[in-house]
Amino acid sequence: MPLTADLSYSWSQALADLNQIAAIATLTGFFLLAVVVDLVLPRSRRGGAVAIVAVVGFSYSLASALYRWRYGQGGSAYHGFASGDNFALFFEVLFASLGILTVALAHSYLNRRGLLESEFHLLVMAAVIGMMVLASATSLVTVFLGLETLSIALYILSGYARTENRSQEAAAKYLLVGGFASAFVLYGMALVYGGSGTTVIPEIAKNLASSASGNPLLLLGILMMGVGFALNVSAAPFHMWTPDVYQGAPLPVTAFMSVGTKAAAFAMIIRVFAGGLPHLAPEWQTLLAFVAATSMIVGNLMAIVQTSLKRLLAYSGVAQAGYMLIGVIAGGENGLAAVLYYLFVYMFMNFGAFAVITMLTGADGERDSFADLEGLGRRNWLLAAAMTVFMLSLAGFPPSVGFFGKLFLFTAGVAAGYTWLVVLAVLMSVVSVFYYIRVLVPIWTPSPRLERVPASLSTQLAIGLSGVASVVLGLYPTTLFIAGQLGATPITPP
Amino acid sequence: MTLTAIWAMPLIGGALVAFLPPRLGKWFGALVALVSLVVTGYVAFSIAPDYHGFQFNESLEWIPQFSIFYRLGVDGISLWLLVLNAFLTVIAVLATPVRARTSGFVGLMLAMSAGLAGVFMATDLVLFYVFWEAMLIPAYFLLWLHGEGPRPGGAALKFVLYTLAGSLLMLVGIIGEYIATGKQTFDLAKLATLAPSPSLQFGLFFVFALAFAIKTPLFPFHSWLPDAYLAAPTPMLITFAGVMGKAGAYGFLRIAVPLFPQPSDWWDWRWVIPILAVAAIIWGALMALVQNDMKLLVSYSSISHMGFIVLGIFSFNIQGQQGAILQMVNHGIIIAALFLIVAWISDLTGTRDRRAVAGLALRMPVMAGVFAVVAFAALGLPGLNSFVGEFMTLLGAWQRAPLLAVFGAIGLVLTPVYILRLFQGVMQGTPAGPVPRSDIYAGQLTLLAPLVALMFALGLAPGVLTSLMTSVGQAGLYR
Repeated sequence: MPLTADLSYSWSQALADLNQIAAIATLTGFFLLAVVVDLVLPRSRRGGAVAIVAVVGFSYSLASALYRWRYGQGGSAYHGFASGDNFALFFEVLFASLGILTVALAHSYLNRRGLLESEFHLLVMAAVIGMMVLASATSLVTVFLGLETLSIALYILSGYARTENRSQEAAAKYLLVGGFASAFVLYGMALVYGGSGTTVIPEIAKNLASSASGNPLLLLGILMMGVGFALNVSAAPFHMWTPDVYQGAPLPVTAFMSVGTKAAAFAMIIRVFAGGLPHLAPEWQTLLAFVAATSMIVGNLMAIVQTSLKRLLAYSGVAQAGYMLIGVIAGGENGLAAVLYYLFVYMFMNFGAFAVITMLTGADGERDSFADLEGLGRRNWLLAAAMTVFMLSLAGFPPSVGFFGKLFLFTAGVAAGYTWLVVLAVLMSVVSVFYYIRVLVPIWTPSPRLERVPASLSTQLAIGLSGVASVVLGLYPTTLFIAGQLGATPITPP
Repeated sequence: MTLTAIWAMPLIGGALVAFLPPRLGKWFGALVALVSLVVTGYVAFSIAPDYHGFQFNESLEWIPQFSIFYRLGVDGISLWLLVLNAFLTVIAVLATPVRARTSGFVGLMLAMSAGLAGVFMATDLVLFYVFWEAMLIPAYFLLWLHGEGPRPGGAALKFVLYTLAGSLLMLVGIIGEYIATGKQTFDLAKLATLAPSPSLQFGLFFVFALAFAIKTPLFPFHSWLPDAYLAAPTPMLITFAGVMGKAGAYGFLRIAVPLFPQPSDWWDWRWVIPILAVAAIIWGALMALVQNDMKLLVSYSSISHMGFIVLGIFSFNIQGQQGAILQMVNHGIIIAALFLIVAWISDLTGTRDRRAVAGLALRMPVMAGVFAVVAFAALGLPGLNSFVGEFMTLLGAWQRAPLLAVFGAIGLVLTPVYILRLFQGVMQGTPAGPVPRSDIYAGQLTLLAPLVALMFALGLAPGVLTSLMTSVGQAGLYR
């Protein structure tokens, strides 16, 4: 059965297939352009120029994904190794937006810290390319390719503040853990390949339709891949690296990674588990339910005792991964749509929260303790208001996006019969309110501190946009949810 | 659009107020509150008295995938709470002293009032929940940023976490109800005709009742209340104690009772809740008896009085439920007046300890006169408003089970004891303790005058309210 596929290939076919991965191709083109710009321009002008190329590249990529969403025909390309279906497009839009936000945030941060700018944007572009490949991958091989592209760029980014020990430590830790994760995923993939005879995900599903249950190769493969995936979404009990890496990495990197890696890893989980192994659903659902439950418990309880905002948000991210897994476990159109909706709005609220902390950075380094937020309400009104929105949204207060995201996830969970998981999620949400509100206390408590918090126009725009999106997409969640449903259809054919 | 305006106006107005200087902010806020009172009054006067069901309906598709609608409506039940909310908001804003941070305070007060109005008007379960939880945000900031006492932040957090523990479980209940009734609708009127099986009802009733019991608060779930009420600034207490507690009772009446007519599996919730209500009546009264802090005494009295309301709701007959609604309005008026009086006494004398002052009647005769009326209203003197409501709830309870009424009546006996002890101890006897700076001002008297007038009006003519409560006992809503 394997290797009998048609291996003939023509240039015209290759070019036609390029349409399916238009967003990736565009971004790669701009990435190469940025490399050239970086080489050609004098040192003093590189940073700004590369930033502009990056933003234009992300915008083009975003536009092409949106165009294809509206007018294009999704289909598989390159012998089923990649696909330009709605699922891929949804994530491409997400990642391109995230790229723009990250560049906008990093620009002033890097200048303030005196770090090299052009390489940073190049690496972010590379990481986004990896994420997009991951989202459009329909073969285990391309999944792994995307995962590695993404990870390698992020290893370097974590250690970007070269003179800082903590950043170095973060990079080393992330490299080791990431290597482990990749190894687990790869091993699992090998076993699934052995059990199903193909690496193309839809083919796997087809091949296993009749003879899925009880094959130890597959079960072990699911377990291995599950561990690797959990490491990547930073779900407990495989979350240990998250707080350290989040704390050590420069803030824009943390902001980027906390959303991007998570979204990419969820795309991977959905593609492989929900798309490729629907016939083994009970097995991986049990595994993921365990991971979701531990994530919610560990993440929320550990976040309470944190004194660093970065670590607090890291543990909050662990907990949020737990909530999102409920949607994956529930599956179906509405379950996956809920995950996609939540991931998209999670970009705004979580990135926004990190962006606000980024703005506190001074020339001497990052400031991420509760005390650094003191009097923010007077020091920078916009940042304070935005942070309030982000925290209330992460805590799930209506009418913010966080509430509707949870409503969709929980509805899917209860409908699929995972009421116990939803009840646990709800109880843990109560716990989470405690620490999210704790962040707001120093912001609004009257304080003698009055020094302004400077924020560049680009960052103010990024934060303001995230804040507005966190409310508007909640007041009117329908369009995004429909997009999520359309994005989920390639995974769950009717 | 009328109903949308009732909640949107204070919300937008509140956001604007926050940017104004203090004095202007207060008066602009009062204007906003007054305008929404006028709009609410318009709704009250033009509501059709004999119509069963919701009026002034607004319906807009919101999230079609889950059949979630933006649905508003009022009927004879919610109308009175809506009026109470708008009315007390005006009083509360007017009672706010002008200080440096008044604008923020008034803005948050208006936002909370908007949330409460939304809770009373929402006829879609998800929309109800959105308002229910959104109003926690301004309430939290009010308690924490503008609270009194050593640790207002702690009290605020306790209040929010307590309430959230209940309401987030209610969210699971809402989802569960949606799925158990066949994923058709969140429309309250329609859901009332689609009851799930009794054992499912048992579980769903529990999560809903828990949220409402915490908010009301009912007996074993009341421990957030003394802390929160002690920390709350007086103008906030007018709506916080006067209206927000009623939201819990309203939830029982509007959602828990009609949606789950038979919540019995391991035991029957229809008996558990009224027993807890009786416990709240007695426990609240006993706790009020032993308090020396006047603010705390009034707070505990509130627990006791809320017990009557819940008891009336769970009598499952017209007298009891009409009495409960009447009592929600009555209690809102009385508790607001009581908190204002207690705050003024402590402002003018510098102490809240009821034993530290005596014989104030000679030193502040006007205050004594007003306090006397309010005290008599609070203890249920016939002719004043509370009497009718409490009598009706007990009558309803008697019809359901005489024992409930008998034990509930213990509260009626205890109330005069602590209220009169407070009144006599502070006002009568030979003057002692710190000398008040003055009697209450004309402005303060003007603030109390409408409250006192309503106590007489509702005491003498409760029929004005009850005649409109046609939805009570309406076929389909209660079986």
